[in-house]
Amino acid sequence: MPAPGEPESPAGPDAVLRALADPHRREIVRLVRDTEMPAGQIAANFALTQQAVSQHLMVLKRAGVLEERRDGTRRLYRFRRASLEPVQELLDEFWPDALERLRDVVERDHPRQSPRSERKGTK
Amino acid sequence: MTTNDHAQGPTATPPIVATVRIAARPDVVFAYFTDPALITTWLAESATLDPRPGGAFDVDVAGNPVRGKFVEVDAPHRVVFTWGVEGEAGMPPDSTTVEVTLAADGEDTVVTLTHRGLTGDFRRSHEDGWPRRLGALAPIAAGARSGPAG
Repeated sequence: MPAPGEPESPAGPDAVLRALADPHRREIVRLVRDTEMPAGQIAANFALTQQAVSQHLMVLKRAGVLEERRDGTRRLYRFRRASLEPVQELLDEFWPDALERLRDVVERDHPRQSPRSERKGTK
Repeated sequence: MTTNDHAQGPTATPPIVATVRIAARPDVVFAYFTDPALITTWLAESATLDPRPGGAFDVDVAGNPVRGKFVEVDAPHRVVFTWGVEGEAGMPPDSTTVEVTLAADGEDTVVTLTHRGLTGDFRRSHEDGWPRRLGALAPIAAGARSGPAG
């Protein structure tokens, strides 16, 4: 759960997943995971136009992955660790959900013969 | 070279463990991990499986090319395979391990699945661990949402 006063991911886990589905954006997050960084310094790490980097920053910000702060004309970004919590919950559900599907499929494909419903067609 | 306290901080989590009881014998259930025609009914959209140590464990899960190898194949009670996403620097093939045990309990099977290596405790540098975790989260969690059919 987020700390009191800290907003939940405003856009939910799907937006966080989409935001993280891009290698450039993951690299941005890596850059700012422990330190606040101005947009220009982030952009200097990429062979992308500043505009392209700004677009990535926008996606990350909208998903709640990054927090933006203005300092004069500069925009500074830092990582919001809490934004990954809904994604972590999804991850935690992956295998339990998959195993439930496995159970349903196996039990459908191999219905247990009850004593009274003997298989027809066998002699 | 710098030390990195974050390596054992929020990124260090225990393995994921999931379990289910299935009304079928272990040999029936086991095939659903080793037969491409069966694993595609519950986990993956497509699969290339070579169920012997070192053999391919390649499945596409929610559009993600999960690539790995079988590590142990001990029918019908235990199968271990590696799990990673091709082209995903954050979670490359072989970077995590899934261990499945199938225990007979009467006429049923209790399946216990343990997925290790998703966070923190990595062979590579501490610096690398965190982005790997990010890469791990996205495709797997996406799979959790959609499942093999969707």
